[in-house]
Amino acid sequence: MEQPVQTEMWKARSLEELVRILHRLFAEDKVSVEEVQALMESYESNPEEWLQYAKFDQYRYTRNLVDNGNGKFNLMILCWGEGHGSSIHDHTDSHCFMKILQGNLKETLFEWPEKKGNGEMTKKSERVLRENQCAYINDSIGLHRVENISHTESAVSLHLYSPPFDSCNTFDQRTGHKHKVKMTFYSQFGERTLC
Amino acid sequence: LPAGLSQWFPALELLDVSGTGLAELGGGLLALPRLHTLLAKNNRLGGPGSLPKGLGQAPLGRSLRVLNLSGNRFAELPPALLGLRGLQSLSLGGNRLHGIPPDIQELRSLEFLYLGGNFITSIPPELANLPSLSYLVLCDNKIQSIPPQLAQLHSLRSLSLHNNLLTYLPREILNLVHLEELSLRGNPLVVRFVRDLTYNPPSLQELAGRTIKTRNVPYAPSDLPENLVRYLSLASNCPNPKCGGVYFDSCVRQIKFVDFCGKYRIPLMHYLCSPECSSPCSSASQSSTSQSESDSEDEASVAARRMQKVLLG
Repeated sequence: MEQPVQTEMWKARSLEELVRILHRLFAEDKVSVEEVQALMESYESNPEEWLQYAKFDQYRYTRNLVDNGNGKFNLMILCWGEGHGSSIHDHTDSHCFMKILQGNLKETLFEWPEKKGNGEMTKKSERVLRENQCAYINDSIGLHRVENISHTESAVSLHLYSPPFDSCNTFDQRTGHKHKVKMTFYSQFGERTLC
Repeated sequence: LPAGLSQWFPALELLDVSGTGLAELGGGLLALPRLHTLLAKNNRLGGPGSLPKGLGQAPLGRSLRVLNLSGNRFAELPPALLGLRGLQSLSLGGNRLHGIPPDIQELRSLEFLYLGGNFITSIPPELANLPSLSYLVLCDNKIQSIPPQLAQLHSLRSLSLHNNLLTYLPREILNLVHLEELSLRGNPLVVRFVRDLTYNPPSLQELAGRTIKTRNVPYAPSDLPENLVRYLSLASNCPNPKCGGVYFDSCVRQIKFVDFCGKYRIPLMHYLCSPECSSPCSSASQSSTSQSESDSEDEASVAARRMQKVLLG
C-alpha cells in the first residue's frame, strides 16, 4: 500500500456505503492505509445496520463475515462478551484495520519474540479504543492482544483484513513460543455457520 | 420500582433497568409471574435491602432465569438471591465482592456465573456442587488458589481465571474433560520446577504408621492404645498412582509441569508421600527436571490433550 498522489478523504454514511467504497478502493492497484483508516473512522456506527451480523457466543468472542471483498479483503464483525479476549497474535503479512462499533476494546502491543523465544514477551504499549475509533496493525508494527476488559458491557468491532487470511500464529506471553491456528467464522453474511 | 408493576404488566418477561441509578429494586417485582430476565447493571445496588425480601417464595423466585447485577456496589453476594432455585445465569461482575458464600451451592440450576472484576481472594469448594455449571468467570480478582474440588464441575466448558494471583493449579483440573477454554494469563504462574523446601521429615510415629499400612501388618484394636488405632485409620494414599505408599501428616507439595495441547506448560500441584516418591521406572534422582516432567507427561498427557484451548498466551 502506498500514499496516493491525490489524497481523497471519503465519508461513509452507512455500512452499505462503506462496503461499496471499500470495493472501489481495493479495485485499484495501490491502496493507501491512511485512506482506508480514515474511511473506516468516518463511518458512524449505527447498530441498526450491523445488528444482523452481531452474533454473540456465551463462551468466547465471535468472528462474523460481512463481505469478502471480491477476494481482495475480508470485512467482518467481531462480538466480544464481557471479559472476552484474544490471544497474542500476528497477522500473516496482511493489513489489519479494527474499528470499534460499540463499547471499548483494549489493545496491547507486543514486540516479536527473539528467535529462541524463552522469556516473557515484551509489552510495547497499550490503549483503550473508544467507539468509532479505528486502529491499524501489520506484522512489521508488531503483535497484539485485543480484549474487552469491561465486566458490564459487551463490545462490537469491525475488522478489515487485506489480503484475507484464515490462519495465524498465537503466542504464549510467558515464553514467546508460537503456535499456528486456523481461524473460523461464527457466521457468514448474517447466517450462522455450523462446523 | 413502582409497587403496581405486576398489576400493570403481568405478562412481563424481560425487564431492563440498567443505568437508572436504582439503590433498591423494591417489592413491586415480586409478583411478576412470567419475568425470566432481569437486567439491573450499573446502578447503585449493594446496600442492605437492595433486593426485596421473600424473593425465594415469590412468583418471581420461580420464574427468574437470568439476573444481571454487574456494575453495582455489592460487597457480598446478597443472601436474598439464594432462593432463586431456577436461576440459570447470574452476573455480579464489576462489584466489590470479597468472597463467595458456600451457600452458592443452593443455586442448583446455575449454568453461567460471572464474577469477574471483584476482590475475591478464595473460592469455596462448595462452588463445585453446582451440577450444571458450564461457564465460570473469575478473572480480574485476587484469587491465590483453586480448590481441587472444582474438578467435580463435570459440565464446565469454559473457565476464566486470568489476572489473578495463582502460582499453580491443582492437578485435579485435568479431570475437567469437557473444558474447552481456560484462561490463565496475568497470573504469577511458576515457570520452573519447584521443589518444596519446607518438607518436614516424618516423625517416628508416622514412619511406624506407614510401615504398618504398606506392609499390611495385622493389628486388632486391643493391640494398641485407642489414639493410635484412630491415627492408623487416618492414613491417606499417596496420590501418585504408581506409588503404593501412604502418608499421615507429612507430605510433600511438588510442582510438576504438564503440557497442554502440546504448547502450554501448566504448573500443577501434586502432593506426594515423600520427596523420593516417583514412578518405579524413573531413576532415583529427583533433581533432574526432565525426569519429573516425563513422569507427569505419562500421568496427565491423555487428560491434558482433551482440553482443547488453553488461553495461557
